[in-house]
Amino acid sequence: MAHRSAGTLSLPWSQTSQRTGKQRVVADHALLAVTMILALVGLVMVFSASAIVAGNRFQDPGFFLKRQVAWLGVGFLLMQLTSRIDYTLWKKLSIPMLACMLLLLVMVLVPSLGVAAKGARRWLPMGLFSVQPAEMVKLVAVIYMAAYLTRKGDKITLFREGLLPALIVMGLLSGLVLLEPDLGTVVVLGLVTVGMCFLAGARVSHLLALGLCAIPVVLALVLGSSYRRQRLMTFLAPWKDASDAGFQITQSFLAFGSGGPFGVGLGEGKQKLYFLPEAHTDFVLALVGEELGFIGTAIVILLFVFFVWRGFQIAARARVPFGRYLGMGITLLIGGQALVNAGVVTGLLPTKGLTLPFVSYGGSSLVVSLIGVGILLSISRDRHAGGPRGGRGGLDHE
Amino acid sequence: MTAGPSRGRRYVLLLLLLCGFSIILFRLVTLQVLQAAELTARADRQHQKTVSFEGARGVVSDRHGKVLAMNVEVPSVFGVPASLESPSTAARTLSPVLNIRSAELERKLRQDKNFVWLARKVEPEQGRRLEQLSLDGIGVVMEGRRFYPKGPLLAHVIGFSGMDGQGLEGLERRYDSHLHGEKRVTVLQRDALGRTVFPKGLAEQAATPGHALTLTVDEVVQYIAEKELEEAVAHSRAKSGTIIVMEPRSGAVLALAVSPRFDPNVVAALTPDRWRNRALTDTYEPGSTMKIVVAAAALEENVMTPDSMVFGENGRMVIANTTIHDHEKQGWMTFSEVIQKSSNIGAAKAGMALGEQRLYRYLQAFGFGQRTEIDLPGEVNGLLKAPKDWGRRSLASISMGQEVGVTPLQMVSAMATLANGGVMMKPYIVSEIRDEKGRLLKEVLPQVKRRVVSPDTARLMTTILEGVITNGTGAKGAIPGFRVAGKTGTAQKIDPRTGAYSSTQFIGSFVGYVPAESPRLAMIVILDEPQGEAWGGAVAAPVFQRVGEQVLNYLGVSREDTVKIALAMKDF
Repeated sequence: MAHRSAGTLSLPWSQTSQRTGKQRVVADHALLAVTMILALVGLVMVFSASAIVAGNRFQDPGFFLKRQVAWLGVGFLLMQLTSRIDYTLWKKLSIPMLACMLLLLVMVLVPSLGVAAKGARRWLPMGLFSVQPAEMVKLVAVIYMAAYLTRKGDKITLFREGLLPALIVMGLLSGLVLLEPDLGTVVVLGLVTVGMCFLAGARVSHLLALGLCAIPVVLALVLGSSYRRQRLMTFLAPWKDASDAGFQITQSFLAFGSGGPFGVGLGEGKQKLYFLPEAHTDFVLALVGEELGFIGTAIVILLFVFFVWRGFQIAARARVPFGRYLGMGITLLIGGQALVNAGVVTGLLPTKGLTLPFVSYGGSSLVVSLIGVGILLSISRDRHAGGPRGGRGGLDHE
Repeated sequence: MTAGPSRGRRYVLLLLLLCGFSIILFRLVTLQVLQAAELTARADRQHQKTVSFEGARGVVSDRHGKVLAMNVEVPSVFGVPASLESPSTAARTLSPVLNIRSAELERKLRQDKNFVWLARKVEPEQGRRLEQLSLDGIGVVMEGRRFYPKGPLLAHVIGFSGMDGQGLEGLERRYDSHLHGEKRVTVLQRDALGRTVFPKGLAEQAATPGHALTLTVDEVVQYIAEKELEEAVAHSRAKSGTIIVMEPRSGAVLALAVSPRFDPNVVAALTPDRWRNRALTDTYEPGSTMKIVVAAAALEENVMTPDSMVFGENGRMVIANTTIHDHEKQGWMTFSEVIQKSSNIGAAKAGMALGEQRLYRYLQAFGFGQRTEIDLPGEVNGLLKAPKDWGRRSLASISMGQEVGVTPLQMVSAMATLANGGVMMKPYIVSEIRDEKGRLLKEVLPQVKRRVVSPDTARLMTTILEGVITNGTGAKGAIPGFRVAGKTGTAQKIDPRTGAYSSTQFIGSFVGYVPAESPRLAMIVILDEPQGEAWGGAVAAPVFQRVGEQVLNYLGVSREDTVKIALAMKDF
C-alpha cells in the first residue's frame, strides 16, 4: 500500500520514504491540505484586513502581506524539514530545548534585549526580524510534556511523583510568560498541560483539585491587574462601554453581525478601517465573519474541527507512546488555541492576546504552527504501516 | 501493554474540543444570523456619516419665463476635525481666506465631531483659494445658493429661502414642498478615526432638483408698478405703498408691488417688517373705496337706481348723536353722483336703505372679512364684524368704509368682481408647476369663486365708476384713450395714541379697472400716510394713471379711439 501510494504521488516526502527504504507511508495529505487551506485563507484575509491600514502607515498596502508570505515560505520549508525528521529526535532534545526556552524567556524580559510593544515585552530582535519566544514555548512545552509523560508511564496517576514535577516545569514556563505579560499563551499552556496529563491517565480528581487551586490564582491575577479587571468587566458587559474598554469586542460583534450569513464580500469590510483593532492578527476571524459571512466563519471552524479530528487520528496511529502524546499535544495546542481565539473574538471568553493558528498575521505563530504540523506529518508517516511493530521498539520503553 | 494515551480519554478530549467548536458555531449563528440585522444597523451608523445636501431649488419665473429666482453653485467649506493635525494651524490658514476670526474657526475645528461646517455658501473665489491650499481635513463642496437675479423685483411675493434651502417667506415658503430639491443624503464612509474614507462621489450624486414655478406675474408690469410706486412714495413722502395689478377675468395677479422694497439676496440685516407682504398681511380702513360695495348692493337689491335722487343734507347729517360730514356740501343728487362725488351722507343713506343684514351679506359676498385664498402665505381675514356686534352708527360707518379692516388684495379683488361682470375670481399667482424635466405637474386655471352681483348691476356700476373719472373725484386716474372705471378713497387713520381718527394721518387709495368696456386690468394703489395732500384722488389716482397707461401700452391694448376707428371702418 505504501509503495503503491508512493509511486503515484510525486510529493517530495514520498520520494524520501523510498530513499530511506523504511516501512513508511506518505505523510498525511489531508492534514497538509487543511493546513495549507487555512494558511491561504489567512493570506487573503491578512491582505484584506491590512491593506488600507498598511497603505496609510507604510505607504505600502502589501506591507503585511509580503511579510506573511515570507513567513509562510519559511514555515513551509521548516514544516517540510520537520516532517522528514524522525520525530523521536525531539524526545532526545526535549530537555535542552526546554532549557533554551527558559533562557529566551528570561532574555525577553531583559530591557536591553527584549522589545516591548503595546505594554507587553514579547519580542526578541533577531537582526532582520524579531521573534516571540512565547510562541516557541508552546511547542517546546508540548514536546517536553510528551517526553515526560512517556517517561513516567503509569506513574502519572501519582500526584507527587507523576503530576507535580510536570506542573512545576509548566508553572515555571507560565510564570515567565506571564511576566511579559502574555496571558493568552499561559491559558493555552494550561490547556495543553491539563489535556495531556488527562490523556496520560492522570487522575481526574487530581486535575479537578488542580483546577480548584487555580481559581484563586486566576482571580488574583485578574483582579490584581487593572487592565485584566477591565477586560473581565468588558467581557461581562461589552456594550456598556462600547467606545472605550468594550471597543474591541463590540467592534468584533459588529463585524460578525454586519457580515450576516453570506458576508459583505471579500475586501468590502468596513470594520478593518481602524474600527476593529488587530483585524489582521487576533481578530482576523471577525473580519472573515464580516467579509465572508457565517459561511466563511463556519468553514474556518470546520477546517479546525477537521484538523483536530485528523490530528488525533494521526497521533493515535503512532507506533510509539511518545508519538501519540506528541501528536495529540500538538493537535491540542493548535486546536485549543483556535478554540480560545474563536471564543475570544465571539465574546465567549474574556479578551486575551492569542492568534488564530495559520490564519492570523504573525511570523512566530505561523512558523511554529507549521513546524508543529511538520512534526504531525512526520508522525503520520510512522503509523502502523503494515510491517510488524518493533524495530524501533527500543525507544518505546525506557 | 504499551504506555500511552488511553483510547477512552482520547475520545473524551476529542469530544470536549468538538463541544467547544460547536459552541463557537452556535455563537456565530447567533451573531451572524439571528442578530445580523441589528448589528448591521449599528455598524452602519458608525461607518457612515450622512451629510445632507438639498438638490437644486426650483426656479421661479414670470409668465414669460423670465427668471426671478434661481440657484448658483457656490462653495461651502467644511472641516473634519478628526483628520486635522493641528486645528490651530488650520484655523490660522483659513481665517484670512474665509474672513472669519481664527479663534472661532479653531473652536469649531476642536469640536468632537466628524463634520463641521466652517462657512456656508461663500464666494467662488474663496472656494478656489481653499482648493489651492488643499489642507487635510478641510473640504469644499458645491452647494446651491439661492439667487434673485432681479434683486428687489417682486421680492415681497417671492420671499426668500434659508441657508439650508428651506423656504422662509413668500412663495419660497408657500411652495417649499415643490421648490425644494430632493434631499441628497450623501453618505460619507468613514473609518474609526473619523476620516472620510471614500469621499468620492460627493459631486456625482446629483439630486433631483425641485419643481419650477411659473407665475402669473409679468416682469415688465411688475417693474412698471414698482418703479411708479417707489416714485410716488418718495414724492408723497408716504410711509409705504402698495400696488396690485390683477386680470379681472382670471384673478391672475400681474403685479404686486410693496414699498419700501428689499433685496432678498441680502436679508440678514433686515427685520420682518421689511419683507412682510403688506398687500395681504396688513389691513386698513378703506374709506370711500368701500362705497362700491354699498352701491353695487343697493343697485342689485333695487334699493337704488343710478338716477335715484338722494338728499345730501347739505354736508351734515347727525346719526346716533354723531355727525357725518361730506367734504363737499351737496343738496339733491343722483345716486351716481353720490358715488362720483364720494358723498358719505349719500353712501350712509344707501346703507341704511339696505339694512344691516343685506349690507353684511354683500360685504361677505365681495370677499371682505375672509381670506381671498391667494397662494401666498400670511394672508389675514381682515376685520368685519357681524351685525349683532354693530353699534348704532355702524351701518352708516361701514357704508362709507369705516369700522372695517380690509387688505389691499381684498379691495382689488372686490373691484375686479365688478370688472368681471359681477363674477368673483379667486386671485392666484402661480400658474404652472413643472418638474425638473419640464413636465407639467400642475396647471392652475382661473377659478370662479361666486357670482356676487348680476351682469346688469356690474354694467351699471361700471358706468357710475367711469363717472368718477370723468365727472368726479378720480379725474387724475384718467388714462388718455381708455375708459377707466375707478373709485378714490381717503381714510383717516386711527391715531394709536388717542384711539380717535387722526387729522394728519391718511391712507390715500385708488382702485379701478381699465378699459371699462372690456377690462384688462384691475388695479389698486395705496399710499400710507402721504405727507401734504393726502386725497386718494390726488396722490393715488395719478399713480394708477401712470401705471395703467404704461401697462396697457406694453400689453398692446388698443386705445378707445383706434377701436372706434376700427369699428367705424367695419361699418363702411
